[in-house]
Amino acid sequence: MTLSGEFLAFMSLALVAVIGGVLLLNLTKVVHMVVALVFTFVSIAGIYVLLSAEFLAAVQILIYSGAITIIMLFGIMLTRHNDTSEPKTGRWRKLLLFLGVLGFAFAVYIGIYNLDLPAAPNDLHVNNTEQIGIELYSKFIIPFEVTSVLLLVALIGSIVLAKKDDEKEAEKE
Amino acid sequence: MELWNLYQNNYLIVFVFLCLGVILPVVALFLGKLLRPYKPYDTKYTTYESGIEPFHDSRVQFNVRYYIFALMFVIFDVETVFLYPWAVAYEKLGIFALIEMLIFVFMLVIGLVYAWKKKVLKWI
Repeated sequence: MTLSGEFLAFMSLALVAVIGGVLLLNLTKVVHMVVALVFTFVSIAGIYVLLSAEFLAAVQILIYSGAITIIMLFGIMLTRHNDTSEPKTGRWRKLLLFLGVLGFAFAVYIGIYNLDLPAAPNDLHVNNTEQIGIELYSKFIIPFEVTSVLLLVALIGSIVLAKKDDEKEAEKE
Repeated sequence: MELWNLYQNNYLIVFVFLCLGVILPVVALFLGKLLRPYKPYDTKYTTYESGIEPFHDSRVQFNVRYYIFALMFVIFDVETVFLYPWAVAYEKLGIFALIEMLIFVFMLVIGLVYAWKKKVLKWI
């Protein structure tokens, strides 16, 4: 692998993504965690750009670092946050976890080391959004319509769940 | 391919702007910390409540109602994302795509009407 600009960009983006994930787990204040998560999302969008999936990158920024983050912030505000962290776990558990992580890393390494994916010639970078549109609305109509049903179910389900609490509160008052 | 590389190099400018956006608040807050005087005492840090002694935590638990607003925002955001490629490729897709999209939007309108009827949209 040569040290090209693309490689450098990928490495730094991947590094930011991983560091964001680790910080998300290790920071104590919830809002800081959300900021770390935003860094992860944005760097993943950068990786999409490197893969010349520009529409996907825009969607990643729009949906994940915009909407999902907002929903997480709301989730945080809904819960009681007294900033009490769990007591640290024992040494044995840490060791076992470390071994597990090592084993997983080893398995993945063996899996991908000699993996040869021939680069299929594509022209993704030409009119990316239009290509997605043509594929989506001529070949994948049924999944697309099922997506709308899924969104509908999510909307109605959330309303049913949240409204129930509301009525109980009204009864209390 | 040459042109493509040239095009992708333009993302350097995006990167520069991203860095500026991250660095600017950090530098501003850091400079503010350097410049401002720091003389803390307890009464300075209490919340001002018309002269009444403040009690409890200032952060309260929010109502579930606001969460539905956030969730509906996400759902309609996803809908918008599906609209973009449809609008771009509309010229090449023809009338059938219009019908597809109408079904899609209709599904979500059902959800919106349901939310409306359940009085979720009311801001109290």
